[in-house]
Amino acid sequence: VSETRERQRADGAATSAPPAAGTMDLERFVRERRGRWARFESLLREVERLPDHEMGAARLLELVRLYRQTCSDLNEARSATAEPSLLGRLNHLAGRGYRVVYRRSHGRRFAGEARRFFTVVAPAAFRRERAFVLGAALLLVLGTLVGFGAVLADPANAERLLPPQFHQESPRARVERIEAGDERVDSLEAASAFSAFLFSHNIRVSFLAFSLGALTVVGGAWILFYNGVLLGAVAAAYVLDGVTVFFLAWVGPHGALELPAAVFAGAAGLRLGRALLLPGESSAREALRQALPSVWRMLLVTVLVLVVAGLVEGSFSQMSAKTIPYSLKITVAALLFSGLLGWLFVRRLPEEET
Amino acid sequence: VRAARPRTIVTPEHVEIRLDPAGLGSRFVALVIDLAIVLGASSVVAHLALYALPPALGMLVNALALLLLSWGYHVFFEVRAQGQPPGKRIVGIRVVDGRGLPLSVEQSFVRNVVRVLDALPVGYALGALSCLLDPQRRRLGDLAADTLVVREARTVDFERRAARARTFNSLRTPRLLRLARHRVGLEEREFIRALCARGPEMDDRARFDLMEEVARHYRRKLDVEDPHLSGESLVRGLAAVLFADRLSPGRVR
Repeated sequence: VSETRERQRADGAATSAPPAAGTMDLERFVRERRGRWARFESLLREVERLPDHEMGAARLLELVRLYRQTCSDLNEARSATAEPSLLGRLNHLAGRGYRVVYRRSHGRRFAGEARRFFTVVAPAAFRRERAFVLGAALLLVLGTLVGFGAVLADPANAERLLPPQFHQESPRARVERIEAGDERVDSLEAASAFSAFLFSHNIRVSFLAFSLGALTVVGGAWILFYNGVLLGAVAAAYVLDGVTVFFLAWVGPHGALELPAAVFAGAAGLRLGRALLLPGESSAREALRQALPSVWRMLLVTVLVLVVAGLVEGSFSQMSAKTIPYSLKITVAALLFSGLLGWLFVRRLPEEET
Repeated sequence: VRAARPRTIVTPEHVEIRLDPAGLGSRFVALVIDLAIVLGASSVVAHLALYALPPALGMLVNALALLLLSWGYHVFFEVRAQGQPPGKRIVGIRVVDGRGLPLSVEQSFVRNVVRVLDALPVGYALGALSCLLDPQRRRLGDLAADTLVVREARTVDFERRAARARTFNSLRTPRLLRLARHRVGLEEREFIRALCARGPEMDDRARFDLMEEVARHYRRKLDVEDPHLSGESLVRGLAAVLFADRLSPGRVR
């Protein structure tokens, strides 16, 4: 029976008159292609998760063939009907196929990729975007100088710039209290809880600064400058009270990492913001695609540096001179700072990628 | 609030593919589901870390795991599961690159970093505002990474949803078939098909009124004289004659 039916259908296809202009037998259109679409969908489900090299030649060829056919089915259906469910389904299938056929091949293993990130990829990104890193650092330094100068010129400016908690006791009184009493962080538990709070908070804040820079440029630049002003004002207050060394020893060890991290996040934001708002000759979309690879690497480095900075700030930075002498703390600060910059900007990179 | 407008991409095969932006509601539901999953997972991790490890180490491990979960969850699923974290999969929406391609790690990373800004000042207010103002329903993170959250077409069984063949159909007469062939144009056929397919989703009252109105038109147009035939029967009968009646000798092409 099925054989005769097949023959009838074949005959029908061969002898039926071509449809009148502008009309199409949708029923038949769907019936003839339904199997193909179903196969395409199941093939897509299989292939979407596979890396390219595991796909195999046969599957790849079938995929491309089915994709092309579905595209032409979509075109044909569009010219003949407005039926939303049919067009929607074909559009969805073609879109999914497009995403697989034109995807970027990805492939290397995670461990190798992670090692390469630290040795090559991250430093290369920072060197490529050194102009932005330098610009962000200058904004921060400029802010620091302004804040420092303002408080030196008139100590009353400290009260205008800094929040009221800061003025409850003078810097010198604070130094004496802290150095005379017990250690503020007296157990491992307290240190780890404080560190955990610090790095979670700092990462959130740096992401915020990045976002503002990426979407407005001016906002990101302002955050960098303003943080510099606050830092400069605090530093000047300590310097005026004659406790400069204390300040360096208490802020230095984590500041040596946190300040660069703030600059990195700010620089990444400015880089992306420039691509989005001032793309120049290319379209914003193209400029964005060029910026993204270095931007996300800079952000990832920011996160890692902030985690380490949080650990340092929650434990080492909190130790008074009774436990760790100031000279050692300042030395560690200098080592951390030069180590970070050396890793990112000075160390020679392998030839393969710059 | 601006109306949503689909983005059209043209593939190298010169086929246009439409990307329909997902609405604020479905995105919100997906987000709530994903947040619930992250919260559940992180409370499990917290219990494990604080019970199994000494307290100092436990707290650190817990904080790091929390960091990894809350930032990594979205990035991981958006990259590995073709733009569909579990919440989005359940709701039927997907994150794609602005050009219709799968989104890259860097795009996913950036759009999720900007999440902190979208979440401000409270409850994703800024992100929601950006969604409503942008015709492609992008939040700030989507703008910064050129990504798009699109609606997936629900797989509809085309044959079953459309007009069904009817066992008894008083409209199946040679005269009516001939009239239908000449007088019912292509667009009208599409309309009748869509009406039958969507009828069950309509409010009863609205369906009745609409069917009666359409039936009145075709009673005149096709000289159907049977006054006892309800509007819905007439429309469905007509749809069956036009599309599904395989046995009918004068089946309209």
